[in-house]
Amino acid sequence: MADTPEEIKKAQKKYLLIGLILFAFTIVTVAVATVPALDFGKHGFDTWDAIIGLCIASVKATLVALIFMHLNHEKKSIYLFIVLGVLGGLSLIGLTGWAFIDPIEYGTATEGNGFFNPEMVIEEE
Amino acid sequence: MSAEAAADHGDHDHHDEHHHELPFYKKYIWSTDHKVIGIQYGITALLFLALGFYLMMVMRWSIAYPEEPLPSWMSWVFSDEWKARWLQDGRVTGDTYNMFGAMHGTIMVFLGIVPLGFAAFGNFVTPLQIGAVDMAFPRLNMISYWCYLVGGLIMVGSFFMESGAAKSGWTNYSPLANFADGQIVNQFLAGQTQWLLGMVFLISSSLLGAVNFLTTIINLRAKGLTWMRLPFFVWAMLVTGFLLLLAFPPLEVAALMQLMDRTVGSSFFLPSGLYTSGAGIIEASGGGSPLLYQHLFWFLGHPEVYVLLLPAIACVAEVIPVNTRKPLWGYKPMVWSILILGFLSFVVWAHHMYLTGMGPVVSTWFQTTTVLISVPSVILLTSMVVSLWGGSIRFNVPMLWALAFLPMFGIGGLTGLPLAFNLVDLHLHDTYYVIGHFHYVVAPGVLFGLFAGVYHWYPKVTGRHLDTFLGHLHFWPSLIFMNMLFFPMLVQGMAGFHRRWYNGGDAYLSKAEDSVNVFGNTVAEWIYLNPVMSWGAWLLALSQIPFVINFIASIWVGKKIKNDNPYDATTLEWATPTPPPHGNFTFDIAVFRGPYEYSRDDHEGDFFPQWEEPKRDKPAEVPVEEPTR
Amino acid sequence: MEIPYTVTARKDTGLFNAKVGIWLFLASEVMLFGGLFSGYVFLRIYADYPWPERALPVLPGLINTFVLIGSSVTVVFAWAALKMRQWRRFQFFMAITIACAGIFMVLKGLEYNAKWNHQAVRMDDFTIVEGHTHKAVIDEDGHFHEVHEGDDPHGTPFKANAVIFKAERVSFSLVRAHESWIDSMLSQAEERHSKLVAQKQKGTTGIFLYGALVDFEADADKRKAAEEDIVKEYQTAEKIARKIGEKSLYIPDGTPLSYALLKKAREIFIAGRAHNAEIRTGILRTKWKDAHANHPDKGNWEIADEAKITPEDTAGQIVKVLSTLAFEMDPPVPLVLNRSWIKRPIPAKAEQAELRDDTTLAGALQDSPLALAVDAVDFRWMAQKAVEADKDPMKVIESSWIFSDKNEHAAEYKKLWKMHKKRIEKLEEHLVEKYKRDKLGNPKRVSTETERYRMGWKDLLQYAKAEEEGVFPGEEKFDDLRPSMTDGFTGPDHKNADVKRLHAFPELKVPHEKVAMASAFTPKWNTYYAIYFTLTGLHGLHVIGGALVLGYYLLFSKGLYRQNPEWLANRVEVGGLFWHFVDLVWIFLFPILYLM
Repeated sequence: MADTPEEIKKAQKKYLLIGLILFAFTIVTVAVATVPALDFGKHGFDTWDAIIGLCIASVKATLVALIFMHLNHEKKSIYLFIVLGVLGGLSLIGLTGWAFIDPIEYGTATEGNGFFNPEMVIEEE
Repeated sequence: MSAEAAADHGDHDHHDEHHHELPFYKKYIWSTDHKVIGIQYGITALLFLALGFYLMMVMRWSIAYPEEPLPSWMSWVFSDEWKARWLQDGRVTGDTYNMFGAMHGTIMVFLGIVPLGFAAFGNFVTPLQIGAVDMAFPRLNMISYWCYLVGGLIMVGSFFMESGAAKSGWTNYSPLANFADGQIVNQFLAGQTQWLLGMVFLISSSLLGAVNFLTTIINLRAKGLTWMRLPFFVWAMLVTGFLLLLAFPPLEVAALMQLMDRTVGSSFFLPSGLYTSGAGIIEASGGGSPLLYQHLFWFLGHPEVYVLLLPAIACVAEVIPVNTRKPLWGYKPMVWSILILGFLSFVVWAHHMYLTGMGPVVSTWFQTTTVLISVPSVILLTSMVVSLWGGSIRFNVPMLWALAFLPMFGIGGLTGLPLAFNLVDLHLHDTYYVIGHFHYVVAPGVLFGLFAGVYHWYPKVTGRHLDTFLGHLHFWPSLIFMNMLFFPMLVQGMAGFHRRWYNGGDAYLSKAEDSVNVFGNTVAEWIYLNPVMSWGAWLLALSQIPFVINFIASIWVGKKIKNDNPYDATTLEWATPTPPPHGNFTFDIAVFRGPYEYSRDDHEGDFFPQWEEPKRDKPAEVPVEEPTR
Repeated sequence: MEIPYTVTARKDTGLFNAKVGIWLFLASEVMLFGGLFSGYVFLRIYADYPWPERALPVLPGLINTFVLIGSSVTVVFAWAALKMRQWRRFQFFMAITIACAGIFMVLKGLEYNAKWNHQAVRMDDFTIVEGHTHKAVIDEDGHFHEVHEGDDPHGTPFKANAVIFKAERVSFSLVRAHESWIDSMLSQAEERHSKLVAQKQKGTTGIFLYGALVDFEADADKRKAAEEDIVKEYQTAEKIARKIGEKSLYIPDGTPLSYALLKKAREIFIAGRAHNAEIRTGILRTKWKDAHANHPDKGNWEIADEAKITPEDTAGQIVKVLSTLAFEMDPPVPLVLNRSWIKRPIPAKAEQAELRDDTTLAGALQDSPLALAVDAVDFRWMAQKAVEADKDPMKVIESSWIFSDKNEHAAEYKKLWKMHKKRIEKLEEHLVEKYKRDKLGNPKRVSTETERYRMGWKDLLQYAKAEEEGVFPGEEKFDDLRPSMTDGFTGPDHKNADVKRLHAFPELKVPHEKVAMASAFTPKWNTYYAIYFTLTGLHGLHVIGGALVLGYYLLFSKGLYRQNPEWLANRVEVGGLFWHFVDLVWIFLFPILYLM
């Protein structure tokens, strides 16, 4: 944490620089998404644009968190809170997503579903 | 409230030089003192618990004596107009049963147990046990209480609306919860909407409370109070705080989204093409996902049950060492267990959703983590049981409650294990087995643990003991009737009795032989247990009367305590005057040893309090941390 | 009594209380927005309709992003100034930060306003049109008339998005009738020279309502005769009321409708219902007691038949209650009913309408078209449905209602669609030229579904300009006529000079039965807007909250600065941390909602 006046003055230069970098990244994101010449992948909006956009957003978010919010010289315990929060969010999205992606496969009376074969003979005991 | 009057008797006697005489309303109503707030939470929660209990009594009538009108000894509380609206010729209707059922669950969980366990006990005891003068954010603490009260009043007020209160289960699943009370023109007067508004207040209250608790425990511990010297109570409150902090926001999101569905007509949780008999094809956009609601709800729902449990374990873990004159056995494993329990509780939630069509692989994940999470719970319970071994047990009333907690919670926990398995849950889901399981954990489980805490700390709060005879009169019938009420549910549930049915299950009367389950049972064989259980419930209600009398009367006529530490206990709350004044401690408090130093071989006297300075012939333990405040 | 570590940090944790608290709170906020983002992800992946891409104007969002990033920089400068004890500099940067918050909310407000005033209609064949609803009036002959700018309306104009029902009889639920709807019906009746009066009763001159037993109720015939005597003798409603007492009401035929009357009748109904319930409950209790006594071994279901209330049991003890009151429209005139009042969809030529407060109207549904000036036509959903049914999307589109003879404005739409198809054709040619084909002969890049099936307002304006200039797709001048990113800051502007001059946005009158769903661009319209408004709305509330806290520090902290500047610096740091979090959320929101 910058505490002396000189350190704070230096830090302010850093903040301004990071701010300009964030501006630049924003422009890049919009350009990639809108300018036809910068169209990767399919014409119009597609997965590549989404990935690039989200990656740039994550970098911006990391810069804001580490530098503007002083996380890079904060105590370990604070990291713990944020890590818990992020892990919680990921487990929510991840496990819910998994539950959506892996549904029960309903078979039919004659075709089964890969696990159960209706023609299978069950031994009577 | 007279309890606070007694609690603040000491105010005039203490020597804190910053004390100025606060006006009545600032001392007892808009108080920022954690002890007053704790008492406010406690009394409000007990009143809500009584309300939730009453709702259940009416429900049990409908189950035991279907088609019969409510007897006058139960229906006298309702006004004639209310009875005309909600009872059909005096009989409990399906709508009324659903409404009472949904509100019983909501009130007991969100307005009763969590505020009592976490907010009331946590607020009163935690700052005392860590040697702090108050919570880190006293004004935030006060706001938390009033948010809770506003949320609770909104929910209870909804009983008096034309639509009635919420009626779609305490789980409030969409799309039913979207449409119930949907035709009410001003949605803000609809019970379902008010439930959601109340939840927003309650969740906000809990979030603010959690931030407060965690900051206090992390930053306001007394000198010398390292993490491994914390009483287990504080560890439990720490984990509970984290559970509330991280698990409640998704439910707030779900409540917000359902609120938007109801008020502005969005379709977050409505699939396309819905049709109801009341309104035909619904003019909504569709495209939403009811499953999304369930995931968001249970993401909180599962950590929530640990929020219910942990404060009770906290209380029992304090009562046991004091009354066995031995340290808690396995303190370190218990700490690790409770931390692991906290983590795991975030990845088990879909075991409440086994019947929503999840595939075998993801179900296996949830099965595995659910079975895994039973391990730390077992470690906690076992440690507490082993702590009794070789102890010099005092069978006072708090200890009776704590001892009863152990097997009751044991039954509750063990009956949960079959439910962890997808395959078994296919049969048991939505049956009375589930109701039996979770009530065993919460009613004879958690509530007994909290009663142990009430009886244990009452002398510190009021300066008087609760009467022992009335305590026994409260305890023994409660124990018997709890089991009479909930054990048969496990049996009926295994036979397949469906939950949330208002008329006692006449559909099960046909004793068709091929409807027998794997145990060879039909529900019909066990239906005669319905009136037995209902009488258990009503007699259980009577059993609480000694407690109410005791709780109120002992403030004036209870046996006075002999000194500030009547139990000869070792934790810091017993180092304060009784009742503790504003600022709590009258000397500079520092901690020199662990929390359960009872019966030490190298110390005369059977207890060595945490705050007592070490003997001079031993080199003084330098308290680790910071210089004087 | 002071709480320790509010200003100075505790040695072992190295933190002061508020810092611990704010990071904990931010962790919970991560979960809060995480929950909403999870909602976004699942709603989008599992949407069963075409997810709107680039539905929001990018420019306001982009400006807002710059504004928030800038405010993040200024808030940290403000904190630094405070640490260096430069009060004026602190005030300066804090003021800019709050001004940025203000700009953000103003732009957001403009965006929201534009959306909420923009109409969308989905037809039963999944054609979607967007535009600006006209106003209309019911004229002297009871006919629907569109009202345009400069017209002189005869009657109160309403939005041409209503249900017009000529009611002969209206029946109200006493318990649920909604006051403002009744007032609207009354004022409309008055405007159209009609009135709502209590329906004529057969054989009597009015209705008696009872909330409690009255002496002569024992025998139905005797009661009727007694009532008629009372009416003859006391004649006026007030005198009769005094005779029969407070818990009763007499409504003579022809009494005009008023909410006060319904309220009084409701009181009587509730009292009567309560009276009856008490009597019946008592009887039923006795029946059950007897049933149990007669069959001590049997369970409740087995003896339920014995314990039933018969009419003989209740004769002479219960009152007849009425829960609804019916009124006649004299003469029947069209009533304009808000779409949101309707309980269930009313089919064409229906003779009954039900409102959500259980009011039923009997009569005839009138022509209730939705009249609007269209600024976008969207066939994407229709195309998706066609593909799902294995049909050719283009064929399905071109045989839809909007191009058929049943649409009186079909010609304009056909013209626009022709130009649009030509443009997409040229676009695809260009794409094939530029990106070539793959091994199977398919073009490597094709037009998007949005381009193919949706004519947005920019397209319509471009086509109108092209027609005026005689230019066609494929010519360079055609592309120049397209509005740019900076035109139409928050969306289509129907008052724009070019639009008006060229009649770029065509008219449309959608018949009532063809409207499957009509709404503004609000959360109701689809799950995209639902999640958009929820995410940005919650974020906006956080912006406001943060700005209020920072504003408090700007305006009211001079005293604290003098007393304990380090404490103020701590608080400003904590406020700044919250502010950065708000910026962080927007960093994700902007690309996700505006660009994807």
